[in-house]
Amino acid sequence: MMLNHIPDSIEIIDYKDDGKDTRHYRFRLLSKTHHSHWHETQAGQFFMLNVPEVGEAPFTFTEPPNEQNEFSALIRKMASVTSALFDLSKGQIVGARGPFGQGWPHTILKDEYILIVAGGCGLAPLVHLINTLIATTENKKIVLIYGARDEQSQMLIAQQKRWLKTITIYHTLDQVSEDSNFNDGFNLLKGTPLDVLPQALSSFNSLPSKVLLCGPEVMMNSIAQTSIGRGIPETSIYLSLERRMHCAVGLCGHCYLGDQYVCKQGPTFSWQQLQSFRSTA
Amino acid sequence: MNIYLLDDIKKLQLHLTYQYQLHQIVKNNQGQSHWQQISTDQFPTLLHEKAQTSIKDFFFAQQENILVFNGEYFQETLPSPNPFVLFGVQSCDLVAVNYQDKFFKNDPYYQARRKHCLLVGLDCISPCEHGFCPTVNAGPGVRSHTADLILHPLVNQPLEKPQWLLIEGSEKGAMAIKHMTIKGQPLETAHWHYLTQRDLTLKACKQKFSDDSHINIAIEKINNNNVSAVFWQKVAIQCIGCSGCTSLCPTCSCYGTRSIKLPNDNISQERFWDSCLYEGFQKEASFHNPTAEAGKRVERFWRHKFSDGIATEFDRYGCVGCGRCEQTCPGVIGVHSIMKRIANDA
Ligand code: SF4
Ligand code: FES
Repeated sequence: MMLNHIPDSIEIIDYKDDGKDTRHYRFRLLSKTHHSHWHETQAGQFFMLNVPEVGEAPFTFTEPPNEQNEFSALIRKMASVTSALFDLSKGQIVGARGPFGQGWPHTILKDEYILIVAGGCGLAPLVHLINTLIATTENKKIVLIYGARDEQSQMLIAQQKRWLKTITIYHTLDQVSEDSNFNDGFNLLKGTPLDVLPQALSSFNSLPSKVLLCGPEVMMNSIAQTSIGRGIPETSIYLSLERRMHCAVGLCGHCYLGDQYVCKQGPTFSWQQLQSFRSTA
Repeated sequence: MNIYLLDDIKKLQLHLTYQYQLHQIVKNNQGQSHWQQISTDQFPTLLHEKAQTSIKDFFFAQQENILVFNGEYFQETLPSPNPFVLFGVQSCDLVAVNYQDKFFKNDPYYQARRKHCLLVGLDCISPCEHGFCPTVNAGPGVRSHTADLILHPLVNQPLEKPQWLLIEGSEKGAMAIKHMTIKGQPLETAHWHYLTQRDLTLKACKQKFSDDSHINIAIEKINNNNVSAVFWQKVAIQCIGCSGCTSLCPTCSCYGTRSIKLPNDNISQERFWDSCLYEGFQKEASFHNPTAEAGKRVERFWRHKFSDGIATEFDRYGCVGCGRCEQTCPGVIGVHSIMKRIANDA
């Protein structure tokens, strides 16, 4: 089958601010024109948002397309595409192509002990997964470490508060201000996710059976290496990578990592897979 | 597949123009050879010289609009060229087209052009400057699965005898000459011993290539991870990111996209050749750039040409030995310069 480079039209049906320069967007695929595979979206896959006259950029779904053809994404204002999106109002039409890439491993739904570490915007690609895990989970232990620069750059707080009923959440901030709120039910610490890792790990009876990472690459590397040092196998650590993307279908070359393309073979990889690519990078 | 004898190549050119728009390599006033559409009956002589422009442009356009947005819907804008023939393509370029056919197998824009093209290959009977096609299994003789028709110049053939061998490479090629007649007669079938003669000529040509053992030594070092990051960074300092190599290389395929406004206020998305050697090639919106270091980019370029991983996926290396990058590089990262340095110093 020929690759599809053509977006489907989507309507901006709503948006809500969340943290600094960040918004939850709700879109609706417009009838008749859209492709059917939208409804096969897996947690961790992404779509290309097309803002006409500006360009395209990749985003993950915080909620995949539902029966009403509506889906959500958490979008942070960064460069031209997102700035232009922030200037558009409800009811306006933009484009989307997708879903693309490999999502988080399916087997994770069977895991009982899961550690998730996210930094900054890196929580977005995990939202749908965490929601699914919570919905399908009984007797599971999930621990989330969420790191951000400061309180203003934290996002998805309302969402996380809902999760608190079921999962343990650690927050770390690079900078803690005097009036930082320590009584929100989150375990707040000054520092980085790496600093609370030992504590989070020891909260499991044995070791977590999966570790999922998403955020800055330096953070993911250090967490992965420490986890491996603690005896977690390389095949049990998964991460989601960010790369610049133009085509999302393995042609334009922009997202390369060794001989692989992150848009096709990723954006989620096991640590073991990643090491084999890096050796060819 | 049939083989024929031809005394005058112009008759073939003329015959093909009944069905195809003819393109051939010609020389400009500065002595540079390039592809050009031939619209007269004055057919230029066949040049045994590679074009200093890239053949990939015929299929993977340097710049093209891929869609139009009318405010409500996005619509594909596929090219629909008239049937055209590339007449006299050297083996390295044909192998490159074959490689790109695989890479762009499911790309509608590439395939929309490709399916209208007839490829007439031309055997090289002497090495070209910087070329090393035999080392990477891409020449000098045309591989029959890469061309629709193949022309072989018969050397030492008495003047009154036919000067060319015409070999069918594909069904499409056979169809293109099916009804060709010369002075009312069908084409003259060639005796098989002409194929033996062709093999001998090509073998002799192969022997005339200079020693390119540095290429193989370097390929091995690259794949055994014996080239350090420090080495790549050291050589990469001399890459000025001019994109000369990536534009000329017939197997380079990176592209960028941008949105543009059309005169009628519709909006289009354009794709254009990009270069993995540009500093910002992988720069993300967050400014994070995994290949901010020049060494990483140069390493990527050469791995893409010579890694075993690519070879497994495409049944061959990404380099077809045309030597254009050596010719064009103002620094020292063209193929011979870099592979020699890897072979000797890395
Ligand atoms: S890498 Fe250089 S020699 Fe090889 S195909 Fe490309 S331009 Fe030709
Ligand atoms: S985004 Fe184009 S190859 Fe991955």
